[in-house]
Amino acid sequence: MTSTIEQLDADLVTDEAVRPDLPWQTIVWDDPVNLMTYVTYVFRSYFGYPREEAERLMLQVHHEGRAVVASGNREAMERHVHAMHGYGLQATVSKVEP
Amino acid sequence: MIVAGREGGADGVRIVLETEEAMLLSELADQVDSVLLLGGDDDPALGRLFPSAYPDDREAASDYTRYTRDSLVDGKRQAAQSVRDATATERDAGLVEIELDQAQAWGWLTFLTDLRLILAERVGVTDPDEAEPADDERDDYLRAAYEWAGIVQGSMLEVLDPLGR
Repeated sequence: MTSTIEQLDADLVTDEAVRPDLPWQTIVWDDPVNLMTYVTYVFRSYFGYPREEAERLMLQVHHEGRAVVASGNREAMERHVHAMHGYGLQATVSKVEP
Repeated sequence: MIVAGREGGADGVRIVLETEEAMLLSELADQVDSVLLLGGDDDPALGRLFPSAYPDDREAASDYTRYTRDSLVDGKRQAAQSVRDATATERDAGLVEIELDQAQAWGWLTFLTDLRLILAERVGVTDPDEAEPADDERDDYLRAAYEWAGIVQGSMLEVLDPLGR
């Protein structure tokens, strides 16, 4: 189990990491139901974020009400939102205003 | 309820449930499956399970729903059915021991999330100031189930992600 987790940390999906120059975003919103540990685990497992980044994003969702968890083209963001909805997280697609 | 790692350090979790716990979980999973199968658009719980991807763009939201709803419903129903079947037991049958690999564990985690989202809507977890519920006894039962499902999920995550917080 531990080796799988470490593997996830190593498999960073860099081209879909948060980048300000990409026009669409996947936003995850706070909800009163989901456990913080679950949200972190989803961010690590699905996006491949290292633990530290996954926890930073989870805490941003928790404290600020929302966090941008990915940026990129619209189709990719819809795929991410689809996945987040599958996990039971509240997520939306948003266009970055120029 | 006991949630532990699997023998030999294999991926996944081992869950041991009392008969009553297994029966409760099986019943709840069956109900979640029914909500997913039969729930109408007027069921607010479905708004939590299938939130809008474009809250400010009705047309894009509708397109997204059209392309994704069936697969989301299928995935959530499969998860609920797998939990229902794994926990199916009979009174006096004794402890129910369940081994889940990593993929099966994800099915349980997502089912427990969907269950809690539905129960939260039923007992009004978002609006603690809302008017008194009409049926206190039913609400107490649903609220206890909500809390317990969170404990099961939290225990699973402690095994699956021991360094998580």
